[in-house]
Amino acid sequence: MVKLARRSSVLALLFSAMLLVPGCVVLDSPDKIAQVEETNDPFEPANRYIFEVNRFLDEFMLKPTAAWYNAALPQPAQDSVQRFMANLRMPWTAVNDFFQGRPERSYQAVMRFVINSTVGILGLFDVATGWGFPQHDEDAGQTFAVMGAPEGPYLMLPIFGPSNPRDTFGLVVDFLVDPVNIVGRNNGIESVSTIRGATTAIDNRNRNAAVIEDLEKRSTDFYATVRSVYRQRRDAQIQNRGEDSNYPGPRLSVEPAGRHPFIPPTRPAAQANPQN
Amino acid sequence: MRPRRCLATATVVLGSVLLAPGIETLADDRGPQIAQARPASATTSPEAGTFIVTLADRAIAGLADKEASRTDRESRFRMLLTDGFDVPHIARFVLGRYWRVASEAERTEYLQLFEDFIVHSYSQRFGEYAGENLKVAGTRNMPDGEAMVLTDLLRPSGPPVKVEWRMRRDRDSFKITDVVVEGVSMSITQRDDFSATIQRAGGRVDALLGILRDKVRTPIAN
Repeated sequence: MVKLARRSSVLALLFSAMLLVPGCVVLDSPDKIAQVEETNDPFEPANRYIFEVNRFLDEFMLKPTAAWYNAALPQPAQDSVQRFMANLRMPWTAVNDFFQGRPERSYQAVMRFVINSTVGILGLFDVATGWGFPQHDEDAGQTFAVMGAPEGPYLMLPIFGPSNPRDTFGLVVDFLVDPVNIVGRNNGIESVSTIRGATTAIDNRNRNAAVIEDLEKRSTDFYATVRSVYRQRRDAQIQNRGEDSNYPGPRLSVEPAGRHPFIPPTRPAAQANPQN
Repeated sequence: MRPRRCLATATVVLGSVLLAPGIETLADDRGPQIAQARPASATTSPEAGTFIVTLADRAIAGLADKEASRTDRESRFRMLLTDGFDVPHIARFVLGRYWRVASEAERTEYLQLFEDFIVHSYSQRFGEYAGENLKVAGTRNMPDGEAMVLTDLLRPSGPPVKVEWRMRRDRDSFKITDVVVEGVSMSITQRDDFSATIQRAGGRVDALLGILRDKVRTPIAN
């Protein structure tokens, strides 16, 4: 842990130096202003640099580890790993549901945790879904968003990948307050969150290997593609898009009006959707 | 960017790195999610759902043949694509504001390259969707006269994937204008990608065309 922290602080120093260099972009043309507003990425040069570092780490650490994991574990075992990790997130999801003003989802998360931890043998199997308590995930970043915190500029974090100040702060809160992490620390397992994070990362990397490969193949600028996907995906997660029982239907726009395929970019931005 | 905000950001980032809780992947699949019945809207258009199912059946029938040669697969895919999708509309949207600055010659070449690019980059993977099942979970009419079909893509293993199909009426049928997978719009993603490339080339549409030319010429591995 100490070693990790020391390594992290070197990275952090490097990163903060990178952050301050490009600092503040000069907005000298309307086109540039539009671009900056659209991408929400004033630290782009630094972010791109970190992105390349992350891709290097992925290529030589995460990807090979995920491939090894895939070869070592048969599919049913991998599914159990995924369910086990998801089950450990349930108590913290329940807390976040509560702070998002959704007690019924909070109840759902608690019931999932109770059922799957017992009948589902420590979460290795998912019994709760069949009993009417489907899976969902919440984290502190989403809760801050629901509470109205702005996302802030796009950030590419070393190792952790795409983020923004809101989600970065969310990560810190997740780490400190997640009940499973607290229980782990109180029982002498200091690295419980690191183990959880690493396991989830390896499982996700393996599960999404084809998706990531396709995204890269279809992109002319992979950095920009990842930025776009992250922001859209996060927005969908915040809205619980597609999983709420009182889900109001797809929003007309996941982004400011005029940015969506079906509102031609030339039309004035007054076309707000009543659902938004 | 105000310096103070830069500083605050740096502080937050520094803090988070020091207190690293673990590792998150960029394509974070946050655990299994389950298909839920969605409330039927008063103004659903069931034909839109039927259209998607028919198209999916055609796709599976036409592309499941693993023995088919690559050119064969590509030409079948192209037929499905131009039948079911409003490709020129999507292409224009994806070029975004650069459509307006592109010359007539660039537009013509771009429209052709875009279709080739979609065929080239999607046809290979498409054959692998055999054995997966598309279940319509709901349809909805959008305020602008478009319809949205919500589907669950059921896979042999793992949780279903939520796919939303946006389409507009085209005489007695439909044309798809966007596919949204787990909240991620393919059109928006591709547009953000293209505009970044053009912008980094100093606003030259030709730079994108050059990359697309190379891409459609490169044979796909496998």
